[in-house]
Amino acid sequence: MKNIINQLFEIEAKLNGDIAKSVQRNFERLYHELQRMGYKVVNPLGQKYDERDISIEANVLTNSNNAKIVKVLKPAIYQKIDETYTLVQKAIVIAE
Amino acid sequence: MNNIDFGIDLGTTNSGIGKFQNGKVQVFKNPVGFKETLPSVVAYRNDRILIGDKAREFIKTQPNHVFSSFKRKMGSDFVYQLPHMDEQKTPIDFSTLILKELMNFTADERPKAAVITIPASFDTIQSNATKTAGYNAGLKEVVLLQEPIAACLAYANTQNLDINEQKKWLVYDFGGGTFDVALVKINDRELKIIDHEGNNFLGGVDIDQLMVEQLFCPQLEKILGEDGLWKRMVGSEDLAYQKMFMELAYKAEEAKKELSINEESFVEMEISGDFIEMKVTRQQFNDLIKPKVDETIKLTQSLLEKNQISNQEIDRIILVGGTTYIPYIKKSLADTFHCYVDNTIDPTTAIIVGAAYFAGTKAVEEKAQNEEVSVPEITQLKEVKLVYEINSQDNEELLTGLVAGEFSGYYRITRLDGGFDTGMMPFHTRFNEFLKLLPKSINYFNVKIFDKLQHLVFEKGQVAINHGVYNISGQPLPNDICIEVDDTVGSTFLEKIFKKNEILPLSKTVYKTISKTILKGTDDQLIINVVEGNAATSPASNLCIGYLEIAASKLSANLLKGTDIELKFEISESRDLTISLFIDAIGLELEEVFNASARNVSLEKIKTELNNALNQIDWEIEDFSYKGLDDVMEQLNVIRMEIIELMRELIEAEDDLVTDKIFNIDERKRKVFQAFDQQVRGKNLLEEIEEYQLYKQQIKEELLLHPNPKIDRMFQIIIKNEQVFLNSDQISVVRSKIKELKRLARELYYQHDEAYIDLFYDYAHLSVTDYENETQAKKLISKGEDAVEKRNFQELKSIISSLYNLLKVKPKDYLEDQNGTLGLR
Repeated sequence: MKNIINQLFEIEAKLNGDIAKSVQRNFERLYHELQRMGYKVVNPLGQKYDERDISIEANVLTNSNNAKIVKVLKPAIYQKIDETYTLVQKAIVIAE
Repeated sequence: MNNIDFGIDLGTTNSGIGKFQNGKVQVFKNPVGFKETLPSVVAYRNDRILIGDKAREFIKTQPNHVFSSFKRKMGSDFVYQLPHMDEQKTPIDFSTLILKELMNFTADERPKAAVITIPASFDTIQSNATKTAGYNAGLKEVVLLQEPIAACLAYANTQNLDINEQKKWLVYDFGGGTFDVALVKINDRELKIIDHEGNNFLGGVDIDQLMVEQLFCPQLEKILGEDGLWKRMVGSEDLAYQKMFMELAYKAEEAKKELSINEESFVEMEISGDFIEMKVTRQQFNDLIKPKVDETIKLTQSLLEKNQISNQEIDRIILVGGTTYIPYIKKSLADTFHCYVDNTIDPTTAIIVGAAYFAGTKAVEEKAQNEEVSVPEITQLKEVKLVYEINSQDNEELLTGLVAGEFSGYYRITRLDGGFDTGMMPFHTRFNEFLKLLPKSINYFNVKIFDKLQHLVFEKGQVAINHGVYNISGQPLPNDICIEVDDTVGSTFLEKIFKKNEILPLSKTVYKTISKTILKGTDDQLIINVVEGNAATSPASNLCIGYLEIAASKLSANLLKGTDIELKFEISESRDLTISLFIDAIGLELEEVFNASARNVSLEKIKTELNNALNQIDWEIEDFSYKGLDDVMEQLNVIRMEIIELMRELIEAEDDLVTDKIFNIDERKRKVFQAFDQQVRGKNLLEEIEEYQLYKQQIKEELLLHPNPKIDRMFQIIIKNEQVFLNSDQISVVRSKIKELKRLARELYYQHDEAYIDLFYDYAHLSVTDYENETQAKKLISKGEDAVEKRNFQELKSIISSLYNLLKVKPKDYLEDQNGTLGLR
């Protein structure tokens, strides 16, 4: 399932920018279905880099305390098992 | 006597811990991030001590804050200066931190003794330094084991090898940053290292960078028309090039993994909005890494030569370290040394597994077992107050910790889903930490407090903070908010959108399908009916708070059964309901706001509901009369009269556009339906559940007598979550399940050829006038009788099919899903 989510995320990233509203709806639907299946996908793009956030594996390009996540190569994925979420994939990001 | 059981791989690049239990080894996962290995890296950043993956993230930007590869300095008098602090640390101190972190992986049972692995090259001083780190981490007993021996043990134990004669094995350990090869003598299950070789600066990371430099850069240079890309990426201060390098290095690692399985891999890069695709074949990759692999082979050959051992004397080569996943390595070794190359267990955890196997055979020394008595007890903190909000809409929520009296130490907070860890933070008496929350879920945190020597003195698990699930400032919903949907048996039921007591404002998107084909221009319509009440009762007995009719005359195209429909429901704090509807297939998008003060009543809908109720109540009265339940029957008769009265008043109110008579009728209708529901629902639900159980039992028995994996699989899917739907109080849901079981029972029935005899006679007993061609029908029936006599089922099935095709009116499949009335399922 992780591989399917990653492919989905990549397709969405590729369409980004001039993404049509109707296509965005399809992605929202897909993520909704994934959530129903117990998968929560978190895209940390634009977030402030947080050294306490274990759900991301960052390549940090600056030693500033205000580094931001500027690129997400893979999203963070949590899976619901017995009503609680568990991290199953760390987001791979670049922060600068 | 207890055994040590715990095995630790204290590696140069990565470390890990495992435990031997019940004849197997369990490799523990890090409770934060859930990885089996922990990078042997420590970082000091803004007072925070970070260990593992997070520490590694600062290697490039703040190298003087990050400490790694300290294992290489074990046993030396080298000291590390901590940044902005007048404090120094030794390699033993850092190893202690890594060991303590690993001991957190084991959760409930903290190890008192452990086997720790060391490289074959470690001398006595280095070995003793490792032991000291173990003791400093809180272990009472430390047993050392050489890494190649651990690897051999892992392979020998997992494969249950029987070794009766003396053999020589090579342990080829190619990790992320180092290469080691050891020559091992194995005899009657005794293992001894004869000699070893290695290179401390040769590992998988070099391969990733080589891929970027030699495979990707030339391709990119051509596409971008730019020279010296590699130099710019590694030597320039330009962030854009640095970013490109980071991305390429990550993608190189991914491609490397893919090339272990596939013959080729495609790497994509986004540059200025354009996607550039680069192809890498396994052959290109193998050519690239050949010099590196040759280097390791040369070291291995030199190891054999200096010990005067020929290739033929080597029984097998055991692969350890993540880089050995590359198939070319296994092939090159097999081609060079002409022996069996074993890669049957996970090379990244092999050392941990071997150490734990060894620990499983070593008894704990008595001194260590009794240590508990002699060690002064660590004083646990009793008065610790944790202050935080239980509900939050923010991305972070503040937690304050207060320790009574004077206290200095460290705190550490982790989120139980594995996505958050504060690291060790020093504090005095009080601490504040903004906890990062996973959106729209209940976040559980674990709070730990340590004394100055980093002994655990307080722990509180399951600190729960809800994010976005509740809003503390809003008012709760007094009833369920539901949407009326069609079932598969021709009636409707309520599906919950928001639950009673959820806090306003609320928003939810649901996806449904169209349950009947609505042809444009006809009188048909699609109905969206949102009600407030109890989801378990009949739709008509609830209060309608949002009602939308989409007339077929207004559709731009035919709306086909099965089409997807997206519905978004929002309820504001002032209880306004907004329904947004989107049907992609016909490009229909609309939004309507329903105000709480304006009731939504459809005369047509009330009429249909009253008609349906009247039909049902007649049947119910008959049923209760048959059962002799006169009391109920009497009450149902009163309800029946009220329904008839309402129908009469409704006719009168048809042309009344002025008064609010229709609202009065609607109100009374709900009351009467609630009373009706109360009388019959319990009985009907019970009957449906009984019927469900009956069919379930029948199918179960039939499957026992005549196993059929395909049908069994379908059966398991139907009865999955049985507890949920049987306790849902929804008659329609149980009914739909019964229908599915009936379909399955029919399929099972037709597994037997004899079933077709009955089916044939069903057709044969029909009047010949029912067939389009009577003569042909008669002929077929006669042929069918012959086939029955000869038990020629193939022929019989074909005759039944012909008779079916000949029928003027095809029989209706009573188990087929019925079209909906509302149009929404």
